[in-house]
Amino acid sequence: MSRMAPPRERAVRALNRDAVLETGLADPAWLKARREEAWDVYMATPLPSTRSEEWRYTDVARLLPLDGLEPNLEGADRVPDPLLRTMARDQTSAGRVVDIDGTVVSAELDPALAAQGVVLCSLREAARSCEPVVEALLATRAVPPSDGKFPALNAALWTDGVFLRVPKGVRLQEPVRLSRWVSRPGTATLTRILIVAEELSQVSFVDEIMSPDFESATLVNTAVELFSQRGAQVQYVSLQRMGRGGFYLASQRTLAERDSTLDTLNVALGGSVGRVDLNARLLGPGANSDMLGLYFGDDDQHFDFNTSQDHVAPDARSDLLYKGALDGSARGVFRGIIRVHKGAQRTDAYQTNRNLILSDDAVATSLPNLEIGADDVRCSHGATVGQLDAEALFYLMSRGLDRAQAERLVVLGFLGEVLKRLPLGGVTEKVTKAIEAKLRHVRA
Amino acid sequence: MNDRPILSVTGLGARVAEEDQDILKGVDLAIRPGQIHAIMGPNGSGKSTLAKVIAGHPGYEATAGSVFFQGEDLLEMEPDERAQAGVFMAFQYPVAIPGVSIANFLRTALQARLENGEELDLFDFQELLMERMELLRMDPSFAQRAVNDGFSGGEKKRNEILQMAVLKPALAVMDETDSGLDIDALKVVAHGVNTLKAENPGMSVLLITHYQRMLNYITPDVVHVMVNGRIAESGGPEVALGLEEQGYEKYRRAQVA
Repeated sequence: MSRMAPPRERAVRALNRDAVLETGLADPAWLKARREEAWDVYMATPLPSTRSEEWRYTDVARLLPLDGLEPNLEGADRVPDPLLRTMARDQTSAGRVVDIDGTVVSAELDPALAAQGVVLCSLREAARSCEPVVEALLATRAVPPSDGKFPALNAALWTDGVFLRVPKGVRLQEPVRLSRWVSRPGTATLTRILIVAEELSQVSFVDEIMSPDFESATLVNTAVELFSQRGAQVQYVSLQRMGRGGFYLASQRTLAERDSTLDTLNVALGGSVGRVDLNARLLGPGANSDMLGLYFGDDDQHFDFNTSQDHVAPDARSDLLYKGALDGSARGVFRGIIRVHKGAQRTDAYQTNRNLILSDDAVATSLPNLEIGADDVRCSHGATVGQLDAEALFYLMSRGLDRAQAERLVVLGFLGEVLKRLPLGGVTEKVTKAIEAKLRHVRA
Repeated sequence: MNDRPILSVTGLGARVAEEDQDILKGVDLAIRPGQIHAIMGPNGSGKSTLAKVIAGHPGYEATAGSVFFQGEDLLEMEPDERAQAGVFMAFQYPVAIPGVSIANFLRTALQARLENGEELDLFDFQELLMERMELLRMDPSFAQRAVNDGFSGGEKKRNEILQMAVLKPALAVMDETDSGLDIDALKVVAHGVNTLKAENPGMSVLLITHYQRMLNYITPDVVHVMVNGRIAESGGPEVALGLEEQGYEKYRRAQVA
């Protein structure tokens, strides 16, 4: 395709209102307006400070020079080799989306599923083709700008993302996979994922992100909005495998209606800083959310998980298990709250965070919490921070394993419990391999 | 049969790491290939400490004497090197390793014996594991369970025997493997040891026990009585029978006198 106009000057160099306008240039009017409103919220919202309880351990002002970041607006057309290699290791899928530097470069869906009405496309395309559900659900009920500084920034400046709609009764046997790559240091990549699973449908979605190491802090902010309607089953898996210098910030909200299942797994292995805000809302009786997390930090990696389980409706269940291993001078923070709303009787809600400390300088902070507004509930929370058990290591070594092999088995066994709870094609193998590579790096 | 001892313990003193008091106060012991030795003694006599020092438990340290295994200085070796050399200790309290299956554990242990770059053939391993489990009359599903995780006392001991069967040691040290077992579980352990012994008559066994009853099922060549960190008497199976009748009192008196 040839263009008459000369290449436009790259005038946009910062996160500002011009960038918002530029980003929304081809958007429908409702979306342009929504972006500008979001920008106003962003400007009016102070940067999260360590004085607030929720950000006490992650000092954004120190870690991320937000004003110096350039929005990642250019996209790319070539899929880099490391991403191709990891994609080649994936098993079968129902659909595949590739996103490079915040722009979807391809979206493929099994034609048989397309014929049944499944929609898988770039979020930009979905917004422009006037999917009414996009207008209704994008940055409104799940991750609206009012959620905070970063949700507002994302709603104003998102460049692209994924829209997936599974119609009533359609069940996808294989996962849909999103493979993402970020290449430009010092940029902010802002994308969104919107998944709507209609009544009695089923879908699993694997969101994997990779990048090279960066010399300067590079932000990836992803807003994840997941809707499971009555009786639907949804699984969302995030594999965060960015290079060092990456600052990964995810705002995730799951809305589970009556008798639906909405499970999440957050795996954090890469980046220098990873922060995940996950709110699960149980909106109807019979709703169920398994919330799983796995992290392995080394060097000076910093992972911060902020979770909440909102039991709005009675007779729902949520079960959270986050497990992490920390080596080097890595830092792990888990803060979780179970909120049983007034009238949410017969709630079953559980919350467990376990940490394995592998070195003298690694630190884990675990802050589980409960807020119960009903009297007939079953809730529990627990947190542990422990070191490698010397007896266990001796036991393994007494069978001929050297210390590194013994540690490897104990760590993989410890973290493996999480993966076993969500056995999705290819995910377990991939994560296990990545953990093994980290263990080799650490123990070499 | 080769008459040179497979294990020579000479004047061994040992204590809990960083404590002042020696628990072993000069132990002498020589086990020849194929022999079964039993060490009996009251609680606190040091018999379990001896097992742990032989296996290389980091919580114990030798303070005097030597331990040679097939001519090698065991005390200079790491626990994994001792295992590779052919020493196996069945634990009194086997440790749970959550999330790690017995099969995975044993595969890793066998892989660890191979030279760098050599890969264990998974098919061969599976076959070996199945054959070993059949020998011990174990259900194949047992190997898929996480190591000792939620196991009953009997299951833990069974797991020790299975590991021993797969790793085929030259010296098996049974550290009070019979403690806390009911008679059926005891028979399972004894059957395992006897089966492996019949299969490999050259295997030596050091059986550490508080009770004579284990020796009803495994017949020792030599019985030692350990009291207060020393071997107070050695002899044939009749020594154990004497203990059954008279207890440890006469040894204690003899030491005081």
